[in-house]
Amino acid sequence: MKSSKLWLVLVLALSFMLVLAACGDNNEEAGGNNDNNNEENNDNNNDSDSTERGTITAAMYSAPGHQFNPLFYSDAYEANILDFTHEALAKLDENLDWEPSLAESWDINDDFTEITFTLNEGVTWHDGEPFTADDVVFTYNVLMDEDYVAAGGVRTNYVADLETVEAIDPLTVKFTYTDTNINAIFDAAFIIVPEHIFGDVPILEMPDYSASRNAGEVIGTGPFQLTNMLEGERYELTAYDDYWQGAPGLAGITWRVIEQSIMPGLLENGEIDMIAEPNGVPAADFDTVDALEHITTYVTQDFGYQYMGFKLHHRTTEDVEAGVIDPDNWIENEKIADVRVRQAIVYAINRQALVDGLLHGMGTVLNANFPEASWAFDESAVNPYDYSPETAEELLDEAGYVDVTGDGFREDPDGNEWTLNFDYPTGNAVRERSAPIIVENLEEVGIRVDLRNPREAGPHFDLVEEDDHDWDMYLAGWSLSAADPDPSALWLSTAPYNYTRWNDPVSDELIRAGIQAPEAFDQDYRKQAYSDWAAHMSEQVPQVFLYSSDNIYAYNSAIQNVKHYPAGIYSDAHLWTLEQ
Amino acid sequence: MESNAHRNIDPNPELSDQQPEKSLSPFQLAMRRFLRNKLAIVGIFILIFFVLIAIFADVIATHSPTASNMYKVEAKADSENWLGTDSSGRDNFSRLVHGSRISLTIGFFAMLFTVVIGVTLGSLAGYYGGKVDGFIMRITDLMLILPFLLLVLTIIAILEKINITIFITIIAFTSWPTLTRLIRATFLSLKEKEYILGARSIGASDFRIIFKHFLPNAVGPIIVNATLMMATMIIIESALSFIGFGIPQPTPTWGNMITEGNSLRMLQNNWEAWLPPGLAILLTVLAINFIGDGLRDAFDPKSNQ
Amino acid sequence: MHGHGRALVLSLRRNVEMHKYITRRILQFIPMLFLVTVLVFALAKAAPGDPLTGERLDPNIDPEVYEIRREALGLNDPLPVQYWNWLSSVATGDFGKSLQYTGRTVMELIQARIWNTFYLSLFALGVTLAIAIPIGIYSANRKYSLFDYGATTFAFLGLATPNFFAGLLAIYVFSLTLGWFPAQGTTTAMSLTGFELFIDKLRHLVLPGFTLGLASTAAYMRYMRTEILEVKGSDFIRTARAKGLSNESVLYKHTLRNALIPIITLLGLEFGTLLSGAIITERVFNYPGLGTLFLNAIQNRDYPVIMAINLILAVTILIGNLLADIFYAIVDPRIRYD
Repeated sequence: MKSSKLWLVLVLALSFMLVLAACGDNNEEAGGNNDNNNEENNDNNNDSDSTERGTITAAMYSAPGHQFNPLFYSDAYEANILDFTHEALAKLDENLDWEPSLAESWDINDDFTEITFTLNEGVTWHDGEPFTADDVVFTYNVLMDEDYVAAGGVRTNYVADLETVEAIDPLTVKFTYTDTNINAIFDAAFIIVPEHIFGDVPILEMPDYSASRNAGEVIGTGPFQLTNMLEGERYELTAYDDYWQGAPGLAGITWRVIEQSIMPGLLENGEIDMIAEPNGVPAADFDTVDALEHITTYVTQDFGYQYMGFKLHHRTTEDVEAGVIDPDNWIENEKIADVRVRQAIVYAINRQALVDGLLHGMGTVLNANFPEASWAFDESAVNPYDYSPETAEELLDEAGYVDVTGDGFREDPDGNEWTLNFDYPTGNAVRERSAPIIVENLEEVGIRVDLRNPREAGPHFDLVEEDDHDWDMYLAGWSLSAADPDPSALWLSTAPYNYTRWNDPVSDELIRAGIQAPEAFDQDYRKQAYSDWAAHMSEQVPQVFLYSSDNIYAYNSAIQNVKHYPAGIYSDAHLWTLEQ
Repeated sequence: MESNAHRNIDPNPELSDQQPEKSLSPFQLAMRRFLRNKLAIVGIFILIFFVLIAIFADVIATHSPTASNMYKVEAKADSENWLGTDSSGRDNFSRLVHGSRISLTIGFFAMLFTVVIGVTLGSLAGYYGGKVDGFIMRITDLMLILPFLLLVLTIIAILEKINITIFITIIAFTSWPTLTRLIRATFLSLKEKEYILGARSIGASDFRIIFKHFLPNAVGPIIVNATLMMATMIIIESALSFIGFGIPQPTPTWGNMITEGNSLRMLQNNWEAWLPPGLAILLTVLAINFIGDGLRDAFDPKSNQ
Repeated sequence: MHGHGRALVLSLRRNVEMHKYITRRILQFIPMLFLVTVLVFALAKAAPGDPLTGERLDPNIDPEVYEIRREALGLNDPLPVQYWNWLSSVATGDFGKSLQYTGRTVMELIQARIWNTFYLSLFALGVTLAIAIPIGIYSANRKYSLFDYGATTFAFLGLATPNFFAGLLAIYVFSLTLGWFPAQGTTTAMSLTGFELFIDKLRHLVLPGFTLGLASTAAYMRYMRTEILEVKGSDFIRTARAKGLSNESVLYKHTLRNALIPIITLLGLEFGTLLSGAIITERVFNYPGLGTLFLNAIQNRDYPVIMAINLILAVTILIGNLLADIFYAIVDPRIRYD
């Protein structure tokens, strides 16, 4: 080939690239100095009536699974859409108390077995049909249907004690429970779906039905409507102007899926305006994002926490295979049976250092099963277990775990080798990093730990459940209920989620006391019961509470009226406006 | 598919047919050519440099590569931590030094196992032919049909977890087919050569024929392939680390060190965290490629005429 | 070697042989296909856990629902039954439903992404060929020139730079610092149409496309250079040259043609490599393609998706190889049909 031809090809290719590069300058990159640039651009693409209202771009790190039926959705990314398009009878306010939403008020009978809601007038679905009590009845009947779980639904906890739901009149609906239900409002606050859309669809086909899946066909009562989407990339919400609380102040919200690592850059140059659920701004990026002049940040403690569990008991292989949870058959794990050993381990782990280092200070060391925002939180009830290797060593010495062989590691009271097996999962970067550091801490006080290679989350949690093996310690996390602090599902000795297999009659009794009618209708009584329980747990140490990380929300300061609630910032999104 | 085998290989006539100057074996000749290749020599020096670092890692490193300091996380370089610290407060310089050990070990052993599997199966298929050949070639085809990375990820998922041994095994288990085909093709092309027929007629054992007569002639392609493979293995380790399927922390590898740079903040502010391991990978792989290329030219001089 | 004259009789015989060869290759394809389905199924099922296992963060959900759901999905059936059910529906083009994404068929998930990956691979391939072939040829003709050294250096650097590293650097430089190209996704706005949309999509392809194509560009540049040098040194070119053909026409007629043949067959294999390389590139650029879908499916044990992607790619490669072999048989007269 002649060199001239080659150069021609190269020059052509190069100029093509430059043309491509130039094409973008005017229609995409908004530039770092003008925050509203891309909103204005987007406006041109929207309906003519939205010219004076702005559109914002919000970002999430992973794509939603495209199940936009609240009965069946499963991930936090789908929730990012549904939070704007659908509503429930009641919602949590800034004190984590219930405030009216679709229902204007409610009334609970004296023995706490019935709750009657009066619905707001004039609420309409996105297609203009009126919202009525029949929709509520329909939604709950689906949850109670025997096909619901087979179809893919998991939210049966909302109807566990529900006997009937009746529409008294179009604006009144009554829930009747089989037993006293101190959580009646929570149980009735499931997102409502439209009967006129799904009424004739067999439940087994509901998740596949077009109204559960397609933009434009997903119908809710919320301030925004999912009108357009590009799989895995963009989800466009448009204002529903007949929204019952008034037309939204924004013309629309566009959700984009972006890679977490470049989020701060996009926030800075104005390509995105908001980062919220589910992971928000990574702790490490907080300083960068917080320093941006046009960005407002809001930090709140997450309701979830990470812990290191002790396998206090193991189940037998027969019980695991039969799926039986019977504390009478459990085999005690002698290696960590001594409570002093467990206390020593908490003292030995520098949990504040984990928060300061791994979470860049954006988190809280936890000592009880309740988030700070909850009314059940009582700091004075629990031992803070401040980092103290000296105390840890004293406790271990006292318990008879001393180093008799002189190899730097303690032996058990009988002088035998004492090694604690430690398993952890991949998937959560901070948690993964914490495992080797915890081991370092424990080795400093002479505890020999066998840190096994991490497993993927699926198999790890399978093994956490099927505990007929040699595990002593493991890492895991829980999400705490913002709505009610009752720990029964996690901590009753017979609960399947009692992964530590803690078998403690005192704890069981205290947990049951917390939900016992009629005393439990008094919140002060419950608060005391849970303080007692937290104190007992703090002393017994069935697990080491590690930390709960902060949720860090960030949004363009031009967005007005964003409410900073402990449960998130999406509340009353119809009031959001864009400062021009 | 099997026809690939016939076309890839162009066995070197001067190696098998003519026996050149009595004093020098083909291998020695190749080495002589190799040593004249400047880039290859540069490659050798770079590689020796990294190997020495790996051997003396304990002496060179200023800290333990796994000890973390929660109060000095993602720190910039200073007199204490020459390359700063990572997200768990570990010393980057010491991790870089120790990382050379892990990364080179992975590269070398993954390559070695691959060569062992590839040469064994390739020899068996090429030498015995018939059913043995058919069977081995079907498996080879099957392995080549599933895209490499997909296969590796699926296997890692099956094994649930990963450490250095498992990692090396998986990589070797999935990368042997190319080499197997190559060896088989070389064998096929030599099969009808007179000295082979001669050796057979005087009743030499199969084992002896394979080792004495076939393999020496295949040494060139094997070495060239093996070097290039070692470079690939080091890159694969870092790539798998990046998508979360690599050697887990706290074991230091260059791959999981670069992964620390997977955010703009780190890219912009903490170049000392990701650039040195990136350069280390680049240099090592470059060096190995230079060597491989030099070997290729040395064993197959006609591409260089 | 291959005279231009005495070809007719030989070519008739070759034709028959060639047809036989092609028929045999096609027949071999069928058992291979079957083996692939078994392998794909076995690999997917050998992984422990299923989409219903994993971290249960919400203690409010009754653990029993997972068991009921598992039963409903047929995950408790014996493996041969599961295999048969899967195979028979795959035979009708139905890959079943995703386990992770409630209510979505695998086909639908794949359709939404396969074109993105196809465009990306095509772009990368285009970049590879457009850069590698001319530079490779030029390098070979100006051996040991400054240009050749430059190209060689680039090739070595390209081969030695991990894909994701190159991607991160590209985002940093060309997207965030210079602002030339978008760093994420496939389009800017959904309202674009026609030519604007085309340009927009193309701009989104630039960074991931070059990143994905980098290593293969480098490799092909080297291949091309070596092939040209090899062909130039071979007997028949020397013969042609001896016959008095001019330099230029020798190069165009013979060298190029003969050097391109192995490149084309390599391309058949290259497509598979690109598709799997796309896993990492797509991840860096958050590009919604098969790669990201696969990674997600692996992490969530979404078998139907894993099996479908593995199978589709395997079959693509199988057919690619078959076509490459047939093509090779037709183009290269030197091939042996055994």
